[in-house]
Amino acid sequence: MAPDSTLVSEPFPISRVAGRYLLFDVDVMMHARRAYNICGVHIGTVPNLSQQNVFLGIPLELQPEEARVLVEQGHAYIVDDAEAHRNGFIHMSREERLSYVKAMDEQGLELTKETVKRAEERSDQVLRNKGLKGKGAKNDPSSASTVSDDKSDRADETLFDSAPVEPASARASAKKLDPTYVTPTTSYPPLKSPGDAEHILPNVPKSYPLFRYLHSRGYFTMPGLRFGCHYSVYPGDTLRFHSHYLATGMDWDEEFELLDVIGGGRLANRVKKAYLIGGEEKGTEQADDDGQVDGVTNIAPVRAFSIEWAGL
Amino acid sequence: MNMKPTATVASLLPFPSPLQSLIRDSPTDHDSSTTSALHSLAIQIVHNLQHQHFWTHLHIHTHSPVTNAPLPRPLISGLPPQRLYIHPDEQIELVKSADRARKAAAKAKAEKDATGEDSAAAASLDVKAAPEREWVLPTRLSEKWTLRRLAEIFDAVSLVPPAPATESEEGNALNGDVSDQNLVRENPWRTTKRVVLATADTDSTVVYYIMQDGLVKPRQN
Repeated sequence: MAPDSTLVSEPFPISRVAGRYLLFDVDVMMHARRAYNICGVHIGTVPNLSQQNVFLGIPLELQPEEARVLVEQGHAYIVDDAEAHRNGFIHMSREERLSYVKAMDEQGLELTKETVKRAEERSDQVLRNKGLKGKGAKNDPSSASTVSDDKSDRADETLFDSAPVEPASARASAKKLDPTYVTPTTSYPPLKSPGDAEHILPNVPKSYPLFRYLHSRGYFTMPGLRFGCHYSVYPGDTLRFHSHYLATGMDWDEEFELLDVIGGGRLANRVKKAYLIGGEEKGTEQADDDGQVDGVTNIAPVRAFSIEWAGL
Repeated sequence: MNMKPTATVASLLPFPSPLQSLIRDSPTDHDSSTTSALHSLAIQIVHNLQHQHFWTHLHIHTHSPVTNAPLPRPLISGLPPQRLYIHPDEQIELVKSADRARKAAAKAKAEKDATGEDSAAAASLDVKAAPEREWVLPTRLSEKWTLRRLAEIFDAVSLVPPAPATESEEGNALNGDVSDQNLVRENPWRTTKRVVLATADTDSTVVYYIMQDGLVKPRQN
């Protein structure tokens, strides 16, 4: 069944674990991808096969830029996961704790009952296949095929006064069942989903203005490590399109080597893309300082240049 | 007495290369060494474009055609022998029109065959893209650039380089391609400013890269 991304309530939490921005919920991942062009990178692998890195799954790691864009636009907020767990479990009340333990016990008991029931059914099946009658079949009034046999059996057994044993043994087996110990694999619950209390803004590199510009134009981005740039930029979903640009972001007055431009342009041309350099446009050199403080409200225009080999 | 040794040294020097004598003989305003260095670089690029890539109508601009302010460095405009850049969307249109022309030719040929005349060779897909004037930005590999300086260059250039009045008349008189120049000016696909980045290394190798203002999708090369 396909997860339904419409169930996601905004703003959704992004977990920050050891400086990484992670999403653990498939619905949220789909929602971010569909609605906000945020792809991220799947980093989850099989614990006992950690060498395999072809089919990676959840969690989804977001680039700091992606997390920042989502937070700035009010779609998400950052949760410091270690802090949230520490606070959450220390300040958990006794009632909450007990009710959670009780709930886990009930869950474990259900699991045990299910296991026992399945084991009995299986042994019955085997006995029946061998032409013998299973002990469990007597306990099962719904098995239509053995109804007549049961009746004659009971008639026999009543002679030996064994009929009252059955319910007693059933009760005894229910009583002596030990609950399976369930290892909890989620933190929410038991913790309540933390709210956006801290307003953390992810720290972003200086290429962020270019990222934000490309994102605002509807482009999808993936990390550009494979092409020696900051972002490889796709005109649509990365599963449907080839990328158009290899983008490198820099400051307006940052000096760059022409050799880098030529190298980037040459590589991009080789893989049928264009090399893109860009940055936040700044007026005079004195007036830049204010722009950084409230980056959300005061967005300077971004200027970018596409570079392709001329073929001369 | 002093004259004689220098004369012998001069006679021992190799004959200057055509490029060197071209730079030496060019009329420059020797107001500062940096401007003359950039000017000689422009001359070197012009020389390369003219003799290695067969560009024509080459012209060195020292003032912006947009604002008439002096340019940060001399820029070159020129006409390549064939189209240097075709936008992918334009390319699709060109191929489509070429295909229509080919089909029309094939149809005409079939009609001719029906009347019993000799059939010509099979028509091939003939994509016609008229060459366009380009801006060229001469640079040296040892230079460092910033986005601000690049933006200054792009702000100073026009979408299409202005055709120098005298030269274009000459060209038209020589080649008689008046329609060619008109086509260049009216190309509806040329919507973003572009500058050819010419980078010269110390061994006088020159590489050319096309820079465009903004996000322009790559060609399907």
